[in-house]
Amino acid sequence: MKHFPTRRAILGTASAFTLLALTACGGNVGGGAAAGNSSKFPSGPVTLTVGQAAGGSTDLIARALAEGATKTLGSPMPVVNKPGANGALATKEVAGKTADGQELVLLTASLITITPLAVSADEAVNIDDLDIIAGLSQDDYVLVASQQSGFKSFKDVTSAGRNVTFGTTGVGTGSQLAQTVLFKQASVKGTDVPFDSGKPALTAVLGNQVELATIQLGEAMAQIEAGKVSPLLVFSEERNSFLPDVPSAKEAGYDVPVAQYRAVAAPKGTPQEVKDKLLASFQDTFKTDAYKEFNKKNLLTPKELSGEEVVTEWKGYAEKYKELVEKYDISLGGNK
Amino acid sequence: MDFLNPVINGFSVVLEPMNLLYCLIGVVIGMLIGVLPGLGPAATIAILLPLTYGVEPVTAIIMLAGIFYGAQYGGTITSVLLRLPGEASSVVTVFDGYQMARQGKAGTALGLAAIGSFIGGTAAIIGLTFLAPLVAGFALDFGPPEYSALAMLGILLVATISGGSKAKALIAASVGLLLATVGRDIFTGESRFTFGSIQLADGIDFVPIAMGIFGLGEILYNLEERHRAAKAPSKVSNVWPSKGELKHASGAIGRGSVLGFFLGILPGGGATIASMASYAMEKKRAKQPERFGKGAPEGVAGPETANNAAATSSFIPLLTLGIPANATMALMFGALLIQGVTPGPQLVEQEPELFWGVVNSMYIGNILLLIMSLPLVGIFVRILRVRAAILAPITALITLLGAYTINNSMFDVTLVVVFGVVGYLMKKFGFEPGPLVLAFVLGELLESSLRRSLLVFDGDPTGFFTRPISATLLAVFVLVAVMPGIRSLIAKRKRTTAASALAGDGTNNGANNIKEKV
Repeated sequence: MKHFPTRRAILGTASAFTLLALTACGGNVGGGAAAGNSSKFPSGPVTLTVGQAAGGSTDLIARALAEGATKTLGSPMPVVNKPGANGALATKEVAGKTADGQELVLLTASLITITPLAVSADEAVNIDDLDIIAGLSQDDYVLVASQQSGFKSFKDVTSAGRNVTFGTTGVGTGSQLAQTVLFKQASVKGTDVPFDSGKPALTAVLGNQVELATIQLGEAMAQIEAGKVSPLLVFSEERNSFLPDVPSAKEAGYDVPVAQYRAVAAPKGTPQEVKDKLLASFQDTFKTDAYKEFNKKNLLTPKELSGEEVVTEWKGYAEKYKELVEKYDISLGGNK
Repeated sequence: MDFLNPVINGFSVVLEPMNLLYCLIGVVIGMLIGVLPGLGPAATIAILLPLTYGVEPVTAIIMLAGIFYGAQYGGTITSVLLRLPGEASSVVTVFDGYQMARQGKAGTALGLAAIGSFIGGTAAIIGLTFLAPLVAGFALDFGPPEYSALAMLGILLVATISGGSKAKALIAASVGLLLATVGRDIFTGESRFTFGSIQLADGIDFVPIAMGIFGLGEILYNLEERHRAAKAPSKVSNVWPSKGELKHASGAIGRGSVLGFFLGILPGGGATIASMASYAMEKKRAKQPERFGKGAPEGVAGPETANNAAATSSFIPLLTLGIPANATMALMFGALLIQGVTPGPQLVEQEPELFWGVVNSMYIGNILLLIMSLPLVGIFVRILRVRAAILAPITALITLLGAYTINNSMFDVTLVVVFGVVGYLMKKFGFEPGPLVLAFVLGELLESSLRRSLLVFDGDPTGFFTRPISATLLAVFVLVAVMPGIRSLIAKRKRTTAASALAGDGTNNGANNIKEKV
């Protein structure tokens, strides 16, 4: 036992690590304590699951919302990231949980409106499997051009009369849909080059490996302001307030309204009073300066709709995109 | 001055108390696992990867880097004292280090190794400081074609340089490439090898593979090895080498720094190969090569310097190009991705604090390690008395808990267990796990960049040769690919002329063999 101290020190360090790891996943364990009685809601921490990795824009929105709602709801709202399959993994998991309001998911519109156009039916998520609590915000897509391309407006692209290369943020994304539809409508020949996400697509434009790309405004803004890429169009129906000088696709005469919307959803069959309570707490959060400031900083346009409005609007977009894709005979994915 | 500003800012990042603390934790863990035979830096980093999730990216990488180069110091101790290499990169140190210990010069051997390691490490950091921004200057010229060429070159070098059986390395690499194809095809949306599982829709994550193969696999394999009862190590005294000894070894340290630096940069290179190459070089240069294996100080100083220089310089391809040069760097790659940082040419410009913070932390880490290896060496020797029966269950538990925390997913835990068994079987049957993991990382990069390039080139492969960087890289690729053939052809011709002259020169052949192995 002469060397006991050394051994104890190692065991101590190891158990400290174990503890650390345990606390790291503690948030999820707490959420399991469900209570059927809706009048007692919330009966413990309300878990907000995010289908995207930590640090991305969806995750940041979830965290800003959860921070506010923790105060307005009077119950902790831990954010748990379960990335996979564009968020389908997390959404399907939450949809299958007890409908008591203790388990929520941050839903992205593209998962409902665009992904089904690119993946097989069993990988897609149906909005009817969920109860939408509240809409959150709109995240606009902007079409940017490299300096070397010489394109300063979308007119330059249409009048170039040649094949252009354009980067997308991946298969089955709004970025791909917006550009392929736009180019068909404008009769521009283009080669679609998919990247994994917005960042590498932007880098490719900066290096002129592709001439155009459509990415989320938040990702492109720094380079637009630095003058290293030129913004040609935004795909929202109206001009974006953060980019007032850039025309919308609609103004330019194209019918391709694409943006990323986000909402909070609960499993189907959540009691009305629970939904009301959650909605009220979110609405209180929307009014806080901290949350407003967050939206502004991340170039998000508030779109704080009721659950019903979200369902109607998203279903409308899903229908619209399906029509557009069929009309122009566009294939987003291999197995439609 | 413009160049120096971010470098100096990097120091202010390192000197934040939190970062200093993690640097210290990193190098201490590195020393410890360096001393413990079995668990290597790759395994340790794999196991601790999820724990870095909660800290700042720069802090996390500072710690993980500390583990890596710290292990290069620690591995020496057991090589010298017990003839038991703590790390693969310290295997050659056994030859002369243990002999020196038997002659009562254990202190001198450890001292020389520590000083050599310090010099090698520091020289490589300086090299890194100047080379990285140079490469980063080309950042925007690196598009899909360049990455395709780079990934191809990387895979070729991994297959040709790595030690052990070539056939087995190729098999492991093929499996890695195959695993990289799992998941949704990012160009068509088609599902590949997902077997209808939505869990596999995004493909297999790199981290569970690494944690399984390096972490759990290593633990399982070590359990099987009956732990040798630790002998009482020889007394360590007088670790400061005399002036004469230092002077004698200075040449080896200088050569080891340069050799290690360049071998570290090469994909497939790294600390182990650098130490072996340095040993071979020192032996070849020596006036009395027969002293080697009998306690030649150069045989300790050279390899120990080289392995540290290589450990440091292998950060260059990762931090400047986003290409991991060896398995440990592949883990660093994973660590950065977990943190939301994509390593690549933009890193220096976009995240200067992270880049210079990590680079400059290595100066501090090396100083800490020098202190720990010289006056405090006795403490670390005692670690050898911890039994594997205690260590293994704890590390296995940390691995599985950690695997869960990354994505809050039980599926990942299952993956770790599956790949743990794979890793164990690979080790048992003599397959290196390195090529598998590297091929996995590079395969994904190669496929997406190649297909992206062909889209940009409109399907015309000659496009690769119209761009200066990709054309150069492809030329190097061809050179490396045909080199062994040419070399053996020359050797054959030499041999035939020698044979015709009836003068079979055995020693010359031996030297050639070593050179080829290198």
